[in-house]
Amino acid sequence: MIKYAVQDFYNLINKKILVFLLSISCANFANAFQNINADKPTSTKEDAVLFINKIKELQPNSNWPDINPHLFLENIKDNINNPLNLYEGLNTNFCGYAALSYLVLHDDPLGYAKCMIELYNNGKSKFGKSTLHPSLNIHKIAGGLRFKGVMDIRPADQLWFLCLADHFKGYLNSFNHNYQLGDEDTFWAAVNYEKFNRMIRDLLHYKVVARGSDLLRPWIHDTYKYLSKTMQNGVTIMYVNNTILHKKNYNLVRAGVPTHFIVLLNISKAENGLINIVYWDYGFRTLRQLTPAFLRKITFGISHCTKKINNEE
Amino acid sequence: MRNKIKIVLLINAVLLLASCASTNIKKYYADNKLALDNISQTYREQNAKGSFSILFTDKSFKHVSIEIATDTIKYIYEFELNEKRLGDTLIKYHLPVNETEGLITAMKAIKCSWISNLDYYEDEKKGSLVFMSIRSKSFNIPLVDKKYYILTYYAQPQYYDSEGRLLDRKKRRRLRRINKDIFYRINDKVCYTVSNLFR
Repeated sequence: MIKYAVQDFYNLINKKILVFLLSISCANFANAFQNINADKPTSTKEDAVLFINKIKELQPNSNWPDINPHLFLENIKDNINNPLNLYEGLNTNFCGYAALSYLVLHDDPLGYAKCMIELYNNGKSKFGKSTLHPSLNIHKIAGGLRFKGVMDIRPADQLWFLCLADHFKGYLNSFNHNYQLGDEDTFWAAVNYEKFNRMIRDLLHYKVVARGSDLLRPWIHDTYKYLSKTMQNGVTIMYVNNTILHKKNYNLVRAGVPTHFIVLLNISKAENGLINIVYWDYGFRTLRQLTPAFLRKITFGISHCTKKINNEE
Repeated sequence: MRNKIKIVLLINAVLLLASCASTNIKKYYADNKLALDNISQTYREQNAKGSFSILFTDKSFKHVSIEIATDTIKYIYEFELNEKRLGDTLIKYHLPVNETEGLITAMKAIKCSWISNLDYYEDEKKGSLVFMSIRSKSFNIPLVDKKYYILTYYAQPQYYDSEGRLLDRKKRRRLRRINKDIFYRINDKVCYTVSNLFR
């Protein structure tokens, strides 16, 4: 009798363990499945190449008098094939839009290609939750910006950046809403931190965890540890003080505000305690060694972007 | 009344000094032509072998930063002058040690803060120029924001208007700007401006 009771007890325990193990496995499987979905881009480079290669040539469009259609098409193809080549132009305020474009070109190159072709043909296009409908001044100047380095011969980049700057507005753009030639270097094109995160949420299916602000550094005990953690998944974009990172004068007094967006590609600690970071901006990947204090000093915002899962808001 | 006169005289003096900028830089170029042209030429030759830029990161010219661009990535290193790591790094990236160190010494001697190669486009064709910034003590005037002489060396003769301003070749009436600055003629291939930024 006791023997049967013990046997039943063992069976029960075994069943519960089995159910418990199964539930863990299912949970892990579900998580793994979600992670696969989370890493899956909205469209692939192959999709975009297939779409854009079907377009043999674009006809000149009087709505865009300064856009060379051949260069425009080549520019889009290059962005799809080599997204790191995207260049924000010499001394413009397009760095925020360039960092955003890094996400666009990696997550939805097909959407980007379709949007650009539609913009060129119809003068407006929908991307994500936004409809880009550039003003007349943008039509006049797109493709005609000069003295911006390689951007001079990349009309699609000019059009894309100008459209984004024309469409998305933040408090830094309050005093100048209407584009005039040269405004790409002024507050007309500036991007504050809230606007930057809003643009990602509006255009892409990303969840953004943003730490930081336009004036104060984020309250993070160990910036290196935090960045290392965010690098485990998704894309990390830093909002930094570029007057320190990319010195342009010897002034002792520098504005303690962030001015530049960079995409963090890698971070590691060297044996001597210095931090190696690899970041993307200005069409280039850059490797640089910084002290932990320097890293903290330049960091004003960290946006960690991960793909939304299914219909997650 | 006497105070007012003093203030007016002071303002005039500052304006006069500021207006002397172009005279200063032309004189500076004439006085240091050999050294400047040599630096530009050496840099152009070395840069053709491997793309790099040199920056002195402090006013005292004791620290130098080298930006080395490869096909895939740009490396930014900072060294103290005469540090052994500098030579090791140049070797690692196949840059000539003696020539590059000589270039750094020559730059320090004439207070050249920054030298780099800059691409520009004319009629969709790529050109390149050598961009040099010089910090001149004689021009470091309080209240006057612009502190750096910028010299640009072109490989080909350029076009200028009647006032000696550098023109964009495509539309010759349009002024060519670099970093938003207008440039002025020193000779057919060399132009200058004065800027508050060295790059």
